[in-house]
Amino acid sequence: MPDVIREQSEALASRLPPLQVRAERVAATVIQGMHGRRRPGQGETFWQFRRYQNFEAARQIDWRRSARGRELFVRENEWEAAQSVWIWRDSSPSMRYRSRHDVPEKCERADVLAVALAILLTEGGENVALLGEGMSARGGRTGLNRLIEAMLVSGGGSSVPPPGPLPRHAGVVLIADFLEPISVYRDAIAAMASNGCKGHCVQILDPAEEGFPFGGRIRFEGAEGEEPHLLRRADHVRQEYQEKLALHCEELRDLATKVGWSFSSHVTEQPPEAALLSLYGALSRTAV
Amino acid sequence: MLALGSLAITAPWMLTALLGLPILWRLLRVTPPSPRTQRFPAIRLLYRLQSREETPDTAPWWLLLLRLVFAALVILALAHPILHANPDLSGQGAVVIVVDDDWTAGRDWAGRVKTMETLVAQAEREGRSLFLLRTTWTPADDRPFAQPLTTIEARGLIKAMAPQPTPSRLEPLIEALEQAASPAPANVFWLSNGVEDPGEAKLMERLRRLGSLTIVSDASTGPRVLVPPSSSGRSVNVEAVRLSTGPAEPVSIRATAADGRVLAYTTAAFPNGQRRASIEISLPIELRNDISRIEIEGETTAAAVVLLDDGFKRRPVGLVSETQFQGKQPLLDELYFLERALSPFSEVTRGRLSSLMRGGSAALILADVGVLTRGDHAKLSAWIEAGGVLIRFAGPRLAAAGLGSKGLGIKDLLPTRLRIGDRALGGGLSWSRPLAVTEFSQKSPFAEMPPYGEVLVRRQVLAEPSIDLDENTWARLADGTPIVTAQPRGDGWLVLFHTTANPEWSDLALSGLFVDMLRRVVGLSAGFVGVQGDQALPPLETLDGFGVLGAPSAKARALSRPNADGLLSVGPDQPPGYYGTALTRRVLNLTIKPSDFQAQASPPPGVLMQSYSVGTEFDFRPTLLTAALALFLIDFLVTMILRGLVAPRRLAARARGAGLAIVVLLAGWLLAPGPGLAEGAEREADAFALEASLDTRLAYVITGDHEVDAVSESGLIGLSEMLIRRTAIEPAGPMGIDLETDDLAFFALLYWPITADHLPLSDAAVKRVNDFMHNGGTILFDTKDQLEGGVSGGGAGMRRLRALSRDLDIPALMPVPPGHVLTKAFYLLNDFPGRFTGGLVWIQDQQSAHDHEVTPVIIGSHDWSGAWARDRSGQFALPVIPGGKLQREMAFRFGVNLVMYALTGNYKADQVHVPSILERLGQ
Repeated sequence: MPDVIREQSEALASRLPPLQVRAERVAATVIQGMHGRRRPGQGETFWQFRRYQNFEAARQIDWRRSARGRELFVRENEWEAAQSVWIWRDSSPSMRYRSRHDVPEKCERADVLAVALAILLTEGGENVALLGEGMSARGGRTGLNRLIEAMLVSGGGSSVPPPGPLPRHAGVVLIADFLEPISVYRDAIAAMASNGCKGHCVQILDPAEEGFPFGGRIRFEGAEGEEPHLLRRADHVRQEYQEKLALHCEELRDLATKVGWSFSSHVTEQPPEAALLSLYGALSRTAV
Repeated sequence: MLALGSLAITAPWMLTALLGLPILWRLLRVTPPSPRTQRFPAIRLLYRLQSREETPDTAPWWLLLLRLVFAALVILALAHPILHANPDLSGQGAVVIVVDDDWTAGRDWAGRVKTMETLVAQAEREGRSLFLLRTTWTPADDRPFAQPLTTIEARGLIKAMAPQPTPSRLEPLIEALEQAASPAPANVFWLSNGVEDPGEAKLMERLRRLGSLTIVSDASTGPRVLVPPSSSGRSVNVEAVRLSTGPAEPVSIRATAADGRVLAYTTAAFPNGQRRASIEISLPIELRNDISRIEIEGETTAAAVVLLDDGFKRRPVGLVSETQFQGKQPLLDELYFLERALSPFSEVTRGRLSSLMRGGSAALILADVGVLTRGDHAKLSAWIEAGGVLIRFAGPRLAAAGLGSKGLGIKDLLPTRLRIGDRALGGGLSWSRPLAVTEFSQKSPFAEMPPYGEVLVRRQVLAEPSIDLDENTWARLADGTPIVTAQPRGDGWLVLFHTTANPEWSDLALSGLFVDMLRRVVGLSAGFVGVQGDQALPPLETLDGFGVLGAPSAKARALSRPNADGLLSVGPDQPPGYYGTALTRRVLNLTIKPSDFQAQASPPPGVLMQSYSVGTEFDFRPTLLTAALALFLIDFLVTMILRGLVAPRRLAARARGAGLAIVVLLAGWLLAPGPGLAEGAEREADAFALEASLDTRLAYVITGDHEVDAVSESGLIGLSEMLIRRTAIEPAGPMGIDLETDDLAFFALLYWPITADHLPLSDAAVKRVNDFMHNGGTILFDTKDQLEGGVSGGGAGMRRLRALSRDLDIPALMPVPPGHVLTKAFYLLNDFPGRFTGGLVWIQDQQSAHDHEVTPVIIGSHDWSGAWARDRSGQFALPVIPGGKLQREMAFRFGVNLVMYALTGNYKADQVHVPSILERLGQ
């Protein structure tokens, strides 16, 4: 048994750095310009000095600053309130798809986005957790590492967010392709929103799923055991397909905005930084 | 077979299959190509989507065409069309091919091979069984008709077959055919040579019994042969013979030397109505002796070539050696020099005088032998009278022999009377200088001697002046004194070299002049003509069936004793060519007697005649099948791409990768090191030799223990510096020697530290070390264990040395005696301290050695290199025990004495005589 564990953890360790490094690189481009709560409170970074008031404990006095003048000063740090954000990314077989060799698989992009977001959040002092893994939200490096470990161990899950126990008013980020029928998502999101959670949906699509560049006689097969479908002239249905996809996305967006969530779409041939920036921006707006 | 002009179709009924092609077209059209499979996660969105227009699901027209052409090609290939097809074989049964592959076949072998291949192809087509017979069949080959050949076997046999340089022997073949179960009926094709061979009629009769017989023969003129020249005076007369009489016909004869130079080219003509043409080749005598081959131009047979040998004579030379054993220092031995000088051109044997004379020698050499015994004298005189050549060399013993009898004279088997003692030229106490050998008598064998540079003589015995001395002198020094004298006695000669046969008295033995002189003197002897009785001559070079001289064929056996009429005959085991060794070779020519050389009699009625000219068939089948295969591969690839199993771009990338791999492999193969490695090793050995010999160097044995080796190296560096500072010896940096690989010959002194775990030596290393010691090298064995072993000298290193030296040729030992040269070669020393002191140092026992020898081994346990070694900062690396600057200094003094002793030998030993010399000079 120890052998198995060791083997798994070694395999994990070998996979961990590239994912984390890639995610950190993505996160590094976004982190500049983002600031804290801009008010005094519990925290680690210096915010301001203010006059000492009589009711305060003597040990709160900053003696180094006070020695410079006649007044006594107290050192205040910036308020760093932690929020917990629950991240879920779709790890079902349908995410393991890419149409070309120069684009990553959808699940790979989803993982990168999830970890990069977690890095940004932990750097900002928030607590993060992977939804559906029975974790509690933790902050700092530990929280990040536990999230990455959980992410690497899980996989092959369902394409619907699990109805996991969520604290009230937590932040939720759902990263998936959202290609299942719309009713499935409606139930899941409604359940979370009713709990007071604020959420963000990111749809990851492959360029082929967006552009449908097929032609000729093709038998299409699904990734999750769906019925195969034969098209005699695939190029003739491209228009119809795109219309159908746009309708589907529109319904998803309606669903999200109705409960006050945001919805964005990301194609894997685009750089992940843009998606991360918009996601992080939306998150920091709703959280503060 | 269906013939359409020059095109024949072997299986025409197959062509009906072409009618099926339109049906195939229909079938291919209505079957839609199978769809590509595409994985697609968003498949739910595709449900209920379907293209409205229903386009035909057919394969593209070009793919259909490709497949139709493929089918057509296969059908055509099965129909087996042939261009310029030969007509079918007549009759039934097996096909038997009899081929004359004797010497005559060399003229038109290609035609025969083509005919055989055509027959094999025809037999294959008609499914006949096939047999192949050769007229040079020997009982050693496979039995005839043992088993029918497959086509592949037959083609292989034909490819491997080559004309034999021997006449055909039909009797054994006929006999074997009588015994064999022959296939009947059969079609027999005899690829004949047009020459009547003995037993040919009988063979023809036997073959006709098998079935129909077709004789394939050449319509053009038959072969021509050359009869070996009879011995003659100035010119060489050869005779060419043609097969049949006819009109006048030119014939060209070429005579070439062994190196391929054309010496003569003569054109003559067969006279009208005659079969023989006599041709005379006249050449100057020197060129005539160079002829090694005469041939008829344009004839590529073994019988049109005559090889000549060099009327060879054996001149064995005996070196008289009374001891039989080689001296301890072979490089100073006179017989060694003589053997080296003589062996390139004569057989040399060593032995006692009596056994040499009994064994038969053309010349005998006595090197520095003084007075002969009475019995030997008489026997030698008689032997010289009978034509022997006695060559004597002077030397200290010959010079001393004269002291007792007022000089040696003619009665002592010398060509001239000698003065008592010898004459030294040059040297410390003389004004004269060594003189060169300059003048050779024009009447002697040394006339027209090529120049050999200045050969100096330092010491010689002097001839007493006499009337006939001038006449008997063959070579003189620059001042006119005879250096080689000779006298004819009976049929033989007596020759005296007035100096030694080794470099002690002169440079003669080291020069090419010596070799040339000896060769000319030995050449005076009568020699022995002919092949020695029982000696078998191995094949040296033999002619092949095309008359080309080359390495002996595998079948060639050694020439044994000649048969009753004194002639050697060419046979299957003895192809024509040279036999013997490169220096004494005997020629064996394929000689066809003109009486046996007749045109083939006209065949009996019922035998078909055919000529070799047959058309070349062109079989379309392989081409068609190759094209069909190529189309099939293209179709396969296209189908794969259409079904999406292979992406064209990825395919291209893989093809590029494979191409690159092939290029890399090819380049690797071309640039493979192969001979480069051997060359590199040789260059390395050369570099080692140059490094070791361009400067004087001290050397140490690499033991493999890095610490010990480092101490050895730095110790010898320290000693070298000391030598440069204090003495005239200026050694370059020391070298480490690996006994297993390196040559020791370049060093005079070898420092060999023995550690307790020294590895045992290989046989090659043992031999190398023994040779080094025998040839005058000195080894200092240092066991470095004086401390542990104490006075008794039983330390670990010493024990290891005892084990190692079991294989080494170490002489009897003794401790260094007082007054030995080692104690006074440069410094005066009483003992020989190193890092340690107090032990004994052992050298060769003086009783067992000659006084002038340097001891081959010095054995001690004082760790001298440790005392000499310095570290990087120039400080001494190791302490001396018990210690003190004096001990260190003494250790260096021992080193200096040791190197002096190894390099200069024992000359300091002469110092003992200095008082008496000074005393004499004073008088």
